[in-house]
Amino acid sequence: MSGFDNFNTDFYQSSYSVDDQSQAGYGYSNTEDAYNKPYGQYDYSQPMGYTAPPGMMPQPQQPYTGQIYQPTPAFTPTSSQSMYNSSFEDEPPLLEELGINFDHIWQKTLTVLHPLKAADGSIMNETDLAGPMVFCLAFGATLLLTGKIQFGYVYGISAIGCLGMYCLLNLMSMTGVSFGCVASVLGYCLLPMILLSGFGVIFSLQGMLGIFLTAAIIGWCSFSASKIFISALAMDGQQFLVAYPCALLYGVFALISVF
Amino acid sequence: CDFKSNVRMRNPAMDSSEPGQLFDDTSTSAGPQGAGHSGLDKGPVAYTGQTVLSDPMSNLAMAYGSSLASQGKEMMDKNLDRFIPVSKLKYYFAVDTLYVGKKLGLLVFPYMHENWEVCYQQDTPVAPRFDVNAPDLYIPAMAFITYILVAGLALGTQNRFSPEFLGMQASSALVWLIIEVLAVLLSLYLVTVNTDLTTIDLVAFSGYKYVGMIVGVLAGLLFGKTGYYLALLWCCASIFVFMIRTLRLKILSEAAAEGMIVRGAKNQLRMYLTMAIAAAQPVFMYWLTFHLVR
Repeated sequence: MSGFDNFNTDFYQSSYSVDDQSQAGYGYSNTEDAYNKPYGQYDYSQPMGYTAPPGMMPQPQQPYTGQIYQPTPAFTPTSSQSMYNSSFEDEPPLLEELGINFDHIWQKTLTVLHPLKAADGSIMNETDLAGPMVFCLAFGATLLLTGKIQFGYVYGISAIGCLGMYCLLNLMSMTGVSFGCVASVLGYCLLPMILLSGFGVIFSLQGMLGIFLTAAIIGWCSFSASKIFISALAMDGQQFLVAYPCALLYGVFALISVF
Repeated sequence: CDFKSNVRMRNPAMDSSEPGQLFDDTSTSAGPQGAGHSGLDKGPVAYTGQTVLSDPMSNLAMAYGSSLASQGKEMMDKNLDRFIPVSKLKYYFAVDTLYVGKKLGLLVFPYMHENWEVCYQQDTPVAPRFDVNAPDLYIPAMAFITYILVAGLALGTQNRFSPEFLGMQASSALVWLIIEVLAVLLSLYLVTVNTDLTTIDLVAFSGYKYVGMIVGVLAGLLFGKTGYYLALLWCCASIFVFMIRTLRLKILSEAAAEGMIVRGAKNQLRMYLTMAIAAAQPVFMYWLTFHLVR
């Protein structure tokens, strides 16, 4: 009935003015009430409890002082202003409503940064794309610092890569996986790549040291991504098989940052 | 056949038309469905913070929209299953690291392997994880993608790289693969071979040559043209032997497959067909890689 309430609010308020008008207008007929009372079957002079359907025109022979619609007692239209205020206070905090939980983001980041520590499979319970978005932007920003404006390539390659990994993991694992989960994990494991491109801002990556560092970072990214995937999907004996396509994907990112 | 019965076998042919998610995807479940319908029953008590959704029309629209979206997803899943048999594909991806290692070794050095038969378990072929002779799709798929990337790398080192090149190379390799599979299917049909080779098997077998191509191109990058030719020669020979030994069991009749020489036009035709398929592999391998190594 909420919509009806809304509608009724306007109607209720406007009917007040109609009532005033009619009251003023039909004040003349007030005097005639005494004559019509025995004639009429109903006692129209009672303003309260009048439950005639709304929109009915007021009878010409009685002062229309009643309310057309008796609202429910909990409805206080005059306090609509305060009602909005109380709902504003009752709202959950913005971050919680958006689903961004900084503590979880930090925990997942730590999991990525410690590749040799065993991962907990339940951390990917919630699909969280806020962290990966931040990392993608940071990666693009560090690329920008080296003069390469390639946000489009970063997003395009990550989209295609996520789609490919989604298909592959659904085919390889016993239980399926959702696209959001794949995108979230791959996005989090992009963090070491940001270190690589940050390093590339200061030193050139095209020497022997650069190649070695690139290979190490690709290995790190794909190792932690595959570790999270196999702990979340309970795949055994397939870590290297999952790590290889991740390594291909991060290799393409490394290509962008090196060349 | 080294299938051990005490290994817990995961039935890869299990039909999973509704792959359940391990974890709930909570990215879409927050918000709209909570406050929408409760607002219809009680009055303003459910106004808390959702004034936009208090309008019943938008509630209805949102409910309709979400049901439409889930209906669309179901329909897409159903239709996708008609075109791409997902459960059958899952069989080809039921691999593990040990299998991949052994298979790659076989592709490069098939001369020592003795038993090429595929193990069966009550009429269904065993998953690739348990039988090194069974075809799989993981290696061909990964090899294809790696070939594209290595081709890009090769051209990059020669300063002939452009991003459109990757797309062109990928599509031309894919087209050649499709043509080859269609040609093999057609010839199998014409020769009226009674075989249990499916189309996906043929795609898998045709995809194994990408491994040799990658080895050749990488050798060419590291050691120059001589390295490329040597590695390509080695890989062509090994894929030739691999294909003959694998297809022989599938296409030829039982007796001929066991090595006895069976006379008859039919068997000879089948032998020629096997050799033609095997010989096509080195041709394609050279054709698709020679322009990458200068």
